[in-house]
Amino acid sequence: MAHESNATHGATHAKALPADLSAPAFVDVWKMRALTVGAAFTGIAAVLAFADGKLDHVLRAWVLGLMLTFGWAVGGLALLMVQYCTGGKWGLLFRRPLEAMTRTLPLVFVYWLVVVLEMKKLYLWAQVDDVAGALKSGFISEIQAHAIEFKRPMLNPAAFVWTGLVCFAIWGFYTWRLNALALKRDADLPENTPYWIKKFENISGPGIVIYSLTMTAAVIYWVMSMDPTWYSSVYGLLFLVGQGYSVLALSIIVSISLSKSEPFKTILRQTEQHDMGKLTFAFVMLNIYLAFAQFLIIWSGNLPEEIPWYMDRIQGHWGVIITLDFMFHWLIPFTLLLSRDLKRNKKRLVRVCQWMIFAKAFDLFWLIEPNYRDAARNLHFSWGLLEYVAVPVAMVAFWVAYFCTRLKTRPLVQVNDPHLAEILEPEHAHA
Amino acid sequence: MPAREGTYGLLAEFDTPSDLVRAAQQARKDGWRRMDCYTPYPVEEAAEAIGFHRNKVPLITLVGALMGLTAMFLFETWVSVLAYPLNIGGRPLYSWPAFIVPAYEWTILFAGLSAAFGMLALNGLPSLYHPLFNAPNFRDGATTDKFFLCLEALDPKFDLVEGKKYLQSLQPVSIVEVEY
Repeated sequence: MAHESNATHGATHAKALPADLSAPAFVDVWKMRALTVGAAFTGIAAVLAFADGKLDHVLRAWVLGLMLTFGWAVGGLALLMVQYCTGGKWGLLFRRPLEAMTRTLPLVFVYWLVVVLEMKKLYLWAQVDDVAGALKSGFISEIQAHAIEFKRPMLNPAAFVWTGLVCFAIWGFYTWRLNALALKRDADLPENTPYWIKKFENISGPGIVIYSLTMTAAVIYWVMSMDPTWYSSVYGLLFLVGQGYSVLALSIIVSISLSKSEPFKTILRQTEQHDMGKLTFAFVMLNIYLAFAQFLIIWSGNLPEEIPWYMDRIQGHWGVIITLDFMFHWLIPFTLLLSRDLKRNKKRLVRVCQWMIFAKAFDLFWLIEPNYRDAARNLHFSWGLLEYVAVPVAMVAFWVAYFCTRLKTRPLVQVNDPHLAEILEPEHAHA
Repeated sequence: MPAREGTYGLLAEFDTPSDLVRAAQQARKDGWRRMDCYTPYPVEEAAEAIGFHRNKVPLITLVGALMGLTAMFLFETWVSVLAYPLNIGGRPLYSWPAFIVPAYEWTILFAGLSAAFGMLALNGLPSLYHPLFNAPNFRDGATTDKFFLCLEALDPKFDLVEGKKYLQSLQPVSIVEVEY
């Protein structure tokens, strides 16, 4: 229908793609700004560590920073694969930013190496070699001793390292494959595009499944195992949805910020922006759905193996944090994203997305800190607690700087795409 | 209400949504207000072009949703705390986490029903008769592949001869005068 109209009318109204598709110069400004912020917060983190007198909180906050940046790099890979499978015009807006996110994997790997080196400070199961002795000295409880003993085949340093290496190798493989083929596709003749579409689909389909499994393994080792006694079968899915949440938020921020200048000025239309707002809204909903489902099931069961995990995170002033978490993470983005006008307003949508990234970090704080004996059921101030601001901000800032360099390496618009002609049309032709 | 007589309006037919939107924008710019667009599928820009900006469906949906939420939550509270207090695994009678799921379902249900019926009511449906169906090209094309702009006789600017001339200037495929 609309294609017919294209022939007669489209030619006069369709916008033309600018000749220069490279990332605008202000991406370098972002990079410089990010590096400044990164340096400043590294300094702050150092001062705080000095004031606190120990490195424990730096490392816990480091895991928070790792989970955020890992969420973008590997969650970005997942959304990229989902996009290749579903198709759609939003791919033109998101694909290159997502590709740039996936290519930050080396930095995430470096972040992870720090966790490997400091494993003993972060994970109780790594700390305790002699379970019987630790139990006798009162260092661990009977429940912890049993859990550590029982889970030893999985929770041991070698398994931690090898699982991590295998996961990174798999993510690295998909990152390399999708990024390399995307360039080949653009260099190829437009007639071959259907072949490439199929090819990307065939890689991405199984890739999504493999991503879900590897990502689940990674979050179980990196975060869930901080408390060796507890487990939840929805944990991987919770992080998967959380990654969708933060990746969509960041992608929207990047696309809208890039649209201040060519080439995104031409291709970012209100229709697609609105659609992405709706997709983000769906993830906000799904996120609370899973988080609440996990809570409801454990609350209903009320079993001594499971419920302490929530007690650690509710009692001793943590109730304030979980209430705020609920509001930050769900209530605020949910009520705001209900509005159609907001989703169509660039500035406000960006504000909400920035808020969502903050809320994600806040949620991770609630997940990570109460795993440790000094903080469980006892939220109290120490200088170390402020590391949860300083360290992740610095890590994310350096990550953003690296992301900007990755963004600069390719043209921002994929040209061999059947949707390109559509996204250049005035919006009503396809509404 | 007695049957109305005379002209309902002038109906211009277009082949593409782009032509319709341009014509509607022009007509709005030239001061026409009582007009409407008819398309086989939703064309949001056409609605914008004729100055349609707000409707009350979102508000009705929100009110419906809050009513569903409140009603179910209060109902569960009443059942569990006052009407049939039962000791379930030693939990408090007012166990709000367990109330969330049905309350959430009712929120969705009421929101959906309010949106659907609210939209129908605001559209003036069900309606058994509409004068535009007197136009044969409208009957045949409005739900398949034609795009229509109707200047209604209620518009103060409306004049049968002048209106026709004006519509001609928008270069439609055809113009039909529609009787009540």
